[in-house]
Amino acid sequence: MNHAVGKATVAVAGSVDWRDRLYRFYNSQAFVAFLFLLVPVLLLAALKIWPVFYNLYLSFTRYELFEPPRFVGLKNYNYVFSNKTAFQSIINTLLFTIEAVPIGTALALIIAKLLDQSIRGRVFLRTLYYLPVVSSVVVSAMIWRWIYSPQHGLLNYLLGIVGIPPQNWLNDPNLALISLVIVTIWGSIGSNMVIFLAGLQDIPKDILEAARVDGANPVQSFLLITVPLMRPVILFVVVTFTISIFRNFGLIFMLTQGGPFNRTNTMVWEVYQNVFGYLRLGRGAAISVVMLVIVLALTLISFRVLRERQGA
Amino acid sequence: MADLSLARNAHGSFTTREARLPLIITYVFLIIGAIVMIMPFVWMISTSVKPDREIFGDTIRWIPTELDLQNYSDAFKQTNMPRIFANTIVVTAVAVASQVLLGSMAGYVFARLHFRGKMLIFFALLTTMMVPFEVLIIPVFLLIKFFPLAGGNDILGQGGTGLINTLGGVMFPNFVSVFGVFLFRQFYLSFPKEIEEAAIVDGCSRIGVYWRILVPNSKPVMGTMALFAFLWSWNDFLWPLVVVKEDSLKTIQLGLSVFDQEQGTAWAELMAASVMAVVPVILLYIFLQRFLVSGGITSGIKG
Repeated sequence: MNHAVGKATVAVAGSVDWRDRLYRFYNSQAFVAFLFLLVPVLLLAALKIWPVFYNLYLSFTRYELFEPPRFVGLKNYNYVFSNKTAFQSIINTLLFTIEAVPIGTALALIIAKLLDQSIRGRVFLRTLYYLPVVSSVVVSAMIWRWIYSPQHGLLNYLLGIVGIPPQNWLNDPNLALISLVIVTIWGSIGSNMVIFLAGLQDIPKDILEAARVDGANPVQSFLLITVPLMRPVILFVVVTFTISIFRNFGLIFMLTQGGPFNRTNTMVWEVYQNVFGYLRLGRGAAISVVMLVIVLALTLISFRVLRERQGA
Repeated sequence: MADLSLARNAHGSFTTREARLPLIITYVFLIIGAIVMIMPFVWMISTSVKPDREIFGDTIRWIPTELDLQNYSDAFKQTNMPRIFANTIVVTAVAVASQVLLGSMAGYVFARLHFRGKMLIFFALLTTMMVPFEVLIIPVFLLIKFFPLAGGNDILGQGGTGLINTLGGVMFPNFVSVFGVFLFRQFYLSFPKEIEEAAIVDGCSRIGVYWRILVPNSKPVMGTMALFAFLWSWNDFLWPLVVVKEDSLKTIQLGLSVFDQEQGTAWAELMAASVMAVVPVILLYIFLQRFLVSGGITSGIKG
């Protein structure tokens, strides 16, 4: 706090005027803002803004790392939509979403509704449901690989008790995607549940009470009042859940590596394969751009819905 | 009438008189669900302390007949566990410290200071929150590879390997999170201005206000940020996979995944290693979960 003294001195002697000016510069909003924002803004520009544009540029080039990128027009996009494997990755990502999101969202909402009452052990149960979210994708994948193991896996053992023959979960072309969907739902219920629990607080209690007085049973009350009132939150969860599936690389890497027969080859895996497997950076960039466009469209939808919700 | 129904009960939540399922059905459903959720973890722990003959026996034993901790020491020996843990701790600690510091500084600027172009920068950062890291992996990889004056690179980033295969390369994308900037901004916006104004009247500088008043008072939001940064960094897989080639630089998730491929089906050691990777995270979560809940809503759009 020396400058307080400094200021007082300035008032007496004009000769130290430059110290006052220096202090005023040092204490100006613009200088402090510059000083504090310099590092974060430079980092984010390099890591988040420049890459979007450079990725777009690369998607129009042929680039194999050892020579500079060469412009090839729309060739990479043509490849993405006409090559069987690349196009399959888009279809697989959509299939993955369609299989995981409706069931996963419904389960999370039901669990949130059941946990949204003052019952004994509520906090403990909530913690248990959230645990898979905290665990890393690698650890989760590792555990599930062991559960899915054809010879000594837990799942085949449990199914054997009820007379279902053992399955080769991760290597059967008809089961591989479903097996990943199960792990994904298991791993996401906790985070979606937390969002739903927050959303449930906003439902006016007197509407639910009025429904009960009018003779609605719990199931009717849930389906006819809670679900319609939660529509914006449900859409938000659907969108963020979908984006998390688009981003899910670790599970594919650990469990199936895109196989068997490309059945679990999603877009994020196709990018990784093209770039770090075949060194075709241009093609990888084109698939990334397609992914980014879908993700941005979904995010904008969810923002719009959230804004409507706040306005209402 | 409505007011009566809003009376708080002993648990602090509102008593409602809405139609509820009978308690017994609620419990049966919730407990079965919870068992399914934690069964994989129980199975992991069970496998990790079992001798091999019980792992590959004909019947499933949840509780092993004898406790066999051999798997843990084997897991430790077969991979360079101490080194892997040290790498992970360094990378995570730097990410946590840096995201808390840079997030709080930028958050303060956006919450309190006014200057030309502020809204432009703010919305540019806001937009980047919508872009998942996975779709930017190629340019960010190139940035790290052609990083000027690192790993034998010249000033133009040519000639060497840049930050590839260095811990710095692993850390680089995790120095700052936009989520953190917004978290701190929201917190500082709700912080009473009067205290700062009083300090300024008393002759405190802006940086002094930030350092002596805002920083000491933002422990809850720092806890939230630290916990998220910890989880992201500790559990990060794709980026270390892309950047690190050498065993001595691997982080825990990477070490685990490679361990898996090299060892084939050494399930017991694998589960032991998994337990070691996940226990610090679960402990931290259980002790700090109050921080997670407050920030959990926004976690859908992390980055």
